[in-house]
Amino acid sequence: MNKLVMNFLVTEGYVEAAEKFQVESGTQPEVELGTITDRMAVRKAVQSGNMEDAIEKVNDLDPEILDTNPQLFFHLQQQRLIELIRNGRLEEALEFAQEELAPRGAENHAFLEELERTVALLAFEDTSGCPVAELLDLSQRQKTASELNAAILTSQSHEKDPKLPSLLKMLIWAQNQLDEKASYPHINDLVNATLEEPVA
Amino acid sequence: MPASAACTRSEILVESLSSLDTMARLKALRDVKNQIIGNKTKKLSYIKLGAVPRVVEILASDSDVPLLVQSAAAVGSFACGNDAGVKALLESGVLPHLLKMLSNSNSQVVEAGARSLKMIFQSTLAPKNDMFQFRRVDLILALLNGGNDNVAEVAASVLARCCETKEHQKILADAGCLHSLVGLLKGSVKGREAALDALAALTRGNQETSVLLDMEQGNDLACFIKLMKDKSPRTRLFACMCLLNIAEAFPSGYHQQEWDIKKCMLSTVLKLFEESGQVGEESPGVFADLVTNNEEMQKAAFESNAIEKLAEILDRGVVSARQLEGVLLAIAELCSRLEESRRQILNLQAQRHITMALESSIAGVRIAACTCIKSISRSVKNLRTSLTEERLLRSLFKLLDDPSPFVQVSALGAASNIVLDFTPDKAAFFNCGGVSQFIQLAQSKDSVIRQNAIWALRNLLYLADMMVKDRVMRELTLSILVDLISDSNERVQEQALAFVRNLVYGSVECVQLIFAEDGAILHAIERQLCVASCPEICIQGLYVLINVAAGSEHHKEAVMEFVSPVAAGSILVRFLEDMSNPQLRIAAVWCIMNLIHAESPGVFSRVLRFRDAGIQLQLQKMVEDPILDVKDRVKAALEQFSALGTSS
Repeated sequence: MNKLVMNFLVTEGYVEAAEKFQVESGTQPEVELGTITDRMAVRKAVQSGNMEDAIEKVNDLDPEILDTNPQLFFHLQQQRLIELIRNGRLEEALEFAQEELAPRGAENHAFLEELERTVALLAFEDTSGCPVAELLDLSQRQKTASELNAAILTSQSHEKDPKLPSLLKMLIWAQNQLDEKASYPHINDLVNATLEEPVA
Repeated sequence: MPASAACTRSEILVESLSSLDTMARLKALRDVKNQIIGNKTKKLSYIKLGAVPRVVEILASDSDVPLLVQSAAAVGSFACGNDAGVKALLESGVLPHLLKMLSNSNSQVVEAGARSLKMIFQSTLAPKNDMFQFRRVDLILALLNGGNDNVAEVAASVLARCCETKEHQKILADAGCLHSLVGLLKGSVKGREAALDALAALTRGNQETSVLLDMEQGNDLACFIKLMKDKSPRTRLFACMCLLNIAEAFPSGYHQQEWDIKKCMLSTVLKLFEESGQVGEESPGVFADLVTNNEEMQKAAFESNAIEKLAEILDRGVVSARQLEGVLLAIAELCSRLEESRRQILNLQAQRHITMALESSIAGVRIAACTCIKSISRSVKNLRTSLTEERLLRSLFKLLDDPSPFVQVSALGAASNIVLDFTPDKAAFFNCGGVSQFIQLAQSKDSVIRQNAIWALRNLLYLADMMVKDRVMRELTLSILVDLISDSNERVQEQALAFVRNLVYGSVECVQLIFAEDGAILHAIERQLCVASCPEICIQGLYVLINVAAGSEHHKEAVMEFVSPVAAGSILVRFLEDMSNPQLRIAAVWCIMNLIHAESPGVFSRVLRFRDAGIQLQLQKMVEDPILDVKDRVKAALEQFSALGTSS
């Protein structure tokens, strides 16, 4: 059970909590807690819209990640373009799109569609009316941050999702399956996890 | 003007790489590194601007940790998935410096260097031969055993790329790599994968090293069997490769539950077809190896719907060359013996994909396509209906002129089967110029090509009509045929004789063909029958005589002159007495039977001559021949003798 908790804290990046938990329970974390700090710094940079910094940090952490993940790299550069547009630096944005994003589209045609969508932002003065306005949402930053986080975890040979949610899903699925065959005490309240007798 | 400004910026950056100021160098290095990571276009442009030698210079002469780490990272990035980068790096002499880094006292430096080395070795340009100099193998071994997971992983992946020749495999095995690699199997996921990759490469096609690996495991394959069910697809694939290599090293069986293990491998590899990347690409090829020459495995594969899954991959359209090659070879193996597989693959309309593969720019794909056609065309039913499509024929025959002799030979193999079709005029093959090509290739300097070309011609003449035979002989010419019959290579001789056998079969007119120019062809064959030691050659030669002896009286007498001259022994006795090969004995008896066929005028004199030469006596000795077919033939011949009223 402790391992599950530690796994959750590590994957989600709660460094201080993981450190405290290590002290209190004696559970060993699966990776060096130092790497979690690095990973969280990267995540924070993306969430603040500071893409150049995020790219530098992840390259310091592991230069292979962006070199071997063309889709991820494209999304980071896409986010960089979005941030330039958000900050009204439209000339720079145009130059960036030509210099940096166009070659990505040329190297890999699968990116062309998304590239077109992103560049469409430049065409609208009032971006709130733009059909691709969702790219400017902070949720887009979240998406990019998660993608990057997952890639870092994978490169550290760590599972990119914590085990706890999957286990809970399996519990619910198993109970559903068993319901067809037997009558037995359920766990209905996942927070308290008390066993409740079956209703007659 | 933005474009040229950027250009100048890059040029300045490259200059700064050689700055005397350490901080400036470091900043430029980081800048370049961050620009090129993930960015193929930038990599190429910085290579053009001459950044690589300057980065290597930093790697070689600087000792500051940050400079070393950053330059190693830049090197790795230049090399990553980029052959131009690898080339530039090797030309700048990066290898010895990277290797030196691996013995650095700072672990960060070692890891950075190791990563870059791995990137370089993933390229086909990797300096594999160089690794066997200056005791570098020992260095790599030390890294394997060093205890640093990441570095050990890199060492294993470098080794995996250095196993291209049997010699290299042996050197590495002798140095103790197998033991160290097996040690990594219990470690981290990535280390395990790299170790398995290396073990598979070390044992590939090499019985000695495969046996050594088996011994290393104490003849216990449980470890690999378990890894076949691992979470990671790469691990599963490499584990299968290792097991396969070991199985091939013990052809007479290596394990009690061999069949179960092989079936498990079959289903494992079959599922791996759906994976992306390297695993999806390599798994069809591994599958092909798994079912090679093993009819039971081929049946099991058929029942697991392997043909369907392979056809599905072909239908996908965008398939890498390696994967396509593997898929076609797998189909070829599965169809090599089983008619149901051939039927299924044709029902799934695979011909168009195979035809396109014949036109591929990759030689390996062309060869695989030919092998596929060769297997499928073994189906008599399908020959006339499914494989005579003009585009396929044209593309196939085009390959007879392929620059690669390997492609030529495989195209000949496929064409040989196809020309066996039963339309007597064989017009389609003349029309696409294939026949002329066969004849050309029959005069090649390469004996394997000669042999296969004559084989194709032999098949072409099978049950062909007189017009075809005339046309072929006019183009081939008598003198070339005579040369081939006395070729320096025994396999070629055998095929040449088989060609003549088909040439003279069928009618008196056909037989007459070999009497041209004073019977030059017949005499050449007779010479071979006297001197050849190889039974296969003699068998074909005898069948020529058998077919000639089925001709006119004149023809029978000509054969008789040779096999049993008046007042002399008969060379047939030698063949009748040869207990090493039943086919030889059968052929000799047939020859006799055709010569004493009751309805020909000179039969009685021939019977007497045979009797005088001791033939009837010899036949009587063979009444209890151990081979049933021979016994039957002998019985029939003796009946003929007694029916003709001779007793003795």
